[in-house]
Amino acid sequence: MRVELTQDRDTLAKRLQRITGENPMLCYQCKKCTLGCPSAYAMKMKPHEVMRAIQLGLEDQLYWSGTIWICLSCETCNTRCPQDINILKLIDGLRTSSFKTKYDNPVPELPMMHQLFLKLVRRFGRIYELGLVLILNLKMLTPLKDIDMGLPMFLRGRLKIFPHTSGGARELREVMSRLEAIEEET
Amino acid sequence: MRYAYFPGCSLSASASDYDLSLRAVCRALDIELVEVRDWVCCGASSAHATSHLLSIAMPVLSLGHAEADGFDQLIAPCLACQARLKIANREMREDQDVREKIHGAFDYKYRGTVRVHHPLEVMVEEGVMDKIRSRVRHKLSGLRVACYYGCVLTRPPEVAQFDICENPQSMDTIMRSLGAESLDWSYKTECCGVSMTLTRSDIVLKLSNDIFRAAKEAGANTIAVCCPLCQANLDTRQAQIEKKYQVVHGIPILYFTQLMGLAFGASSEELGLKKLVISPRGVLEMCGLM
Repeated sequence: MRVELTQDRDTLAKRLQRITGENPMLCYQCKKCTLGCPSAYAMKMKPHEVMRAIQLGLEDQLYWSGTIWICLSCETCNTRCPQDINILKLIDGLRTSSFKTKYDNPVPELPMMHQLFLKLVRRFGRIYELGLVLILNLKMLTPLKDIDMGLPMFLRGRLKIFPHTSGGARELREVMSRLEAIEEET
Repeated sequence: MRYAYFPGCSLSASASDYDLSLRAVCRALDIELVEVRDWVCCGASSAHATSHLLSIAMPVLSLGHAEADGFDQLIAPCLACQARLKIANREMREDQDVREKIHGAFDYKYRGTVRVHHPLEVMVEEGVMDKIRSRVRHKLSGLRVACYYGCVLTRPPEVAQFDICENPQSMDTIMRSLGAESLDWSYKTECCGVSMTLTRSDIVLKLSNDIFRAAKEAGANTIAVCCPLCQANLDTRQAQIEKKYQVVHGIPILYFTQLMGLAFGASSEELGLKKLVISPRGVLEMCGLM
């Protein structure tokens, strides 16, 4: 594979720096991020490899690896990075960008969950836990997932059957629409 | 002291026992909690994975309500909520571009005057610690507690501005003042994996099992938590973990506020102990608390 490094092209690293304020070129591959990452064992591309791939502009390979969705957002890598790079912000930048492209995602259930979560919040102003679980289980084609865990929760009154609508739901909907317009402009 | 209170979605549904016990303990310590008017979800991990601006706007809506109602201090008991609220405050203060865009989406312009605290921050202040010591009726002797702080209470330190990042002590200090033994162990701030609990449970089961193993090696008979999401993982998934890894843990997962309440002499109903899937009865009987 040919990798081109040029100064004047709008590279992935530059684009991510513009949207996140973080400079991925500072990474020198010490691997502290990967060593401390609790879900690195489940990643095809480890966090330090993500940093290298960003530097080299390998956007497709990043998406195909699924790593941006296996990241748990626990902030361990940011805390320990000797170059003070907020790696989670870069991963969030990739996640946000990935919504605008079509790619073969090995873990499609993660972005699906986030979109469903925000859809429910947009409707009710708060998360409707039981609704989120049931709809997500149907969408993932595993309708009975975690039923062994749901029953004891239900018996102890920990599952609310009906959603609660926040008094701030309407305001939130307005804010969300205005933000979408602001984001479209930029 | 009077605080705006941001319970968050979990405490108003699956983690009502955290809400009950926190309110009971705050009453005993003369900390007044006033629920934020018409608060909305903080956005948790779904907002920041989707749109940076949205992840700031959602906390700002609730913070704005608290500010407009005259509060300058706010308590948020869920780790995800308190982290997202703190991050929103920081970005509104330091990033002019973000601030202008967010202001453009709201009728009320949030000025950033509401300081956000996790309840542990409020409780380890010297004056409150004195009160805690004076309220103890039943010493929790015999309780060997592994304090589990979870992922984002102390991380990243520039946002959290609280406790020692890799080896926090605040909950341990409170547990010792209740007469319990707090244990040194190395998994205090390891992530339990909750952001994938509905999607990739296999990862959650492994990470949570690692936490149990470390707590047991340290000799714990109880794990104390300070987040509804950690509690849900370690408590409601414990049976699945035992089945998958062919082990027996049987460790009750209590909120630090439930343990405080027990030491203060509150009843099991007031603290919502019946909501726990792994019953704490055995451990509490051993300590003469039930």
